[in-house]
Amino acid sequence: MLHKLLTPARAIVLGVILSTASLPAAADSATDAKLEELQRKLDQSLKMIEALGARVKELEGHAPNAAVAAAGAAPDPRRLEAVEQKVSEIETANATRQADDSGLPIHGFADVNVGNHNLYFPYAKGTNVGSLDFYLAPKLGDRVVSLAELIFETGPDGHVGTDLERFQIGYQFNDQATVWVGRFHTPYGYVNTALHHGVWLADALRRPKFINFEDKGGVMPAHTVGVWVTGALREADGKFLYDFYAGNGQQIQGGTLDMQTGGNLHGAAIAGARLSFQFNGGAADGLMVGVNGFTDKVNDDRTTNPTLVRLNMMGAYAVYDTDTWEHIVEAYSFHDKNLNGSPGTHRSEAWFAQFGYRARWGVPYVRYERAMLDQSDAYFNEQTFGASYYRSALGVRFDINAKSSIKFEIAHTRNTDDRPATDYRPSDAEIGLPQQFDEILAQYAVRF
Amino acid sequence: MFKGRCTLKDDTGKRVSLHRSAMMCCVAALTLLAVWCPAEDLRGSVNLGELPQGWHDDRSRDLALAGLRGHRVILTMAYASCHRLCPATMDEFKRMQRVVDARGEIVDFVIVGYDPKNDSPAVWHQYRLSRGLNRDNWHFLSGSHAATLQLARQLGFPFWTYDEHVMHEPRAVIFDTRGFQRAVLGSRNSRWSDAL
Repeated sequence: MLHKLLTPARAIVLGVILSTASLPAAADSATDAKLEELQRKLDQSLKMIEALGARVKELEGHAPNAAVAAAGAAPDPRRLEAVEQKVSEIETANATRQADDSGLPIHGFADVNVGNHNLYFPYAKGTNVGSLDFYLAPKLGDRVVSLAELIFETGPDGHVGTDLERFQIGYQFNDQATVWVGRFHTPYGYVNTALHHGVWLADALRRPKFINFEDKGGVMPAHTVGVWVTGALREADGKFLYDFYAGNGQQIQGGTLDMQTGGNLHGAAIAGARLSFQFNGGAADGLMVGVNGFTDKVNDDRTTNPTLVRLNMMGAYAVYDTDTWEHIVEAYSFHDKNLNGSPGTHRSEAWFAQFGYRARWGVPYVRYERAMLDQSDAYFNEQTFGASYYRSALGVRFDINAKSSIKFEIAHTRNTDDRPATDYRPSDAEIGLPQQFDEILAQYAVRF
Repeated sequence: MFKGRCTLKDDTGKRVSLHRSAMMCCVAALTLLAVWCPAEDLRGSVNLGELPQGWHDDRSRDLALAGLRGHRVILTMAYASCHRLCPATMDEFKRMQRVVDARGEIVDFVIVGYDPKNDSPAVWHQYRLSRGLNRDNWHFLSGSHAATLQLARQLGFPFWTYDEHVMHEPRAVIFDTRGFQRAVLGSRNSRWSDAL
């Protein structure tokens, strides 16, 4: 440091001296006294330079000793590295903690639709507002997890309603086990727990009709209010996934399945399981297969003798999900037992297959779905959209940017049951449901 | 000729050299130039050494980001089950690799997993095998949840999770050979290789 300061000091002193000495005009007219004064100053300056130079040498002589002393006290490099690593981790953890406390970010999805029919309620036509979906997942600690999905959506009557579609609080023991309590998507098949409510997420414009949400024409219990244990066990060539759940039994209210969010009145319950294996690597990379089933005691909203049916479902599914392909097949078989009126067992089936190709320019897909629902089964007969049907659809998705997409679909749907009015619900004709119809649909979906 | 231009006569008729004045002017001009055009102002630029540590590559080997200094580094974040944006990012990286190969330049491509819970080293290893991303200068990294969040914040990778899905954007950061952040690439860049 001192050495650095001395260098310019020397230069300045020499500069002053040289400048002084190089003033010929002034020197010419100077007196001898002035010359003597200059000579004296020059001598003083030279002495000062010599003194400073000696001091610098003295200090430089001490420097190596100091360095050696410092080197002798240097810590073990590995220990130093470990300390640095620890400090880095602490800084990271602190920064993360500070950010976690900075507030809860709000994210979600929204969509609007145009078509010659409403994509869920075909008796309506034109433009329709789909849903505004707010997704919240507050972090409550290392192991306490929570999730809420609050949706504003247009219902069958055309009015906007609010629905707490999912509300779960859970405890994560580890990757192998998490317990959730609350309202969740019932773990069956692939679509119901993979694609959720944000329509932007799915390549297809809408879910298959029979596995749509209860208030959008679906006939299966898409939501359960209860307890859900889920986890994954990793294997060398993939992972094994499991789900076990139990909750309030469903109730049919006004022709629509309700998951009894506030608790049920009759102690009826649903219980089920799903087992899956997701391949990772090899020829089966991207493939997931699974089986699932549940049993559900379903009531309706009649004031007397509301117990309706024991719904028993078994199903299987397969998904091939890669950078290039998205193929989904789900199949369900129902063996329901009447608990009210004439006893008996009814068998129904429903399945769909969807094949999609993920091109760089978009995702074209084709889907066929079929539901053969026994109308002597009160579970299907009492539901407004419980008719058997088939639907074939061809669609495409284009991504405008990372947060928005536009989808188109043409579809043909035919209801294959004649559903006259019952003492519980009006006929399909009275509701305005066409027996068969062709659709041209467009959807603008975003995430935020 | 030049000497003549730099020589004037004063009132007394004596020649006064202007060399000294010219040199002073040059020094002043250079000083002004230095003030107006600083060589490189790296203040505020993130350095690889300032990023979180504790990363493991797809063979479970420790990798220090600071250790990659000496080559340019192009870093992105991805998750292995992403089939929409991440494949496009990998395509851009492959295109950039071809460009730097043509120049004979060595560049390290770093892909940090958004989802450490699911994107283990084994999963990333399979990812690169199934996609033929076998170059040694491509590093697929997994870290702790805290380190992942911190790195995303420091480098400006916004993301959120929707159950098993990671909502994110196409983005990459280029670091120079000294480890300083030099450029950010995103959806506004039609071809990322143009930024090299």
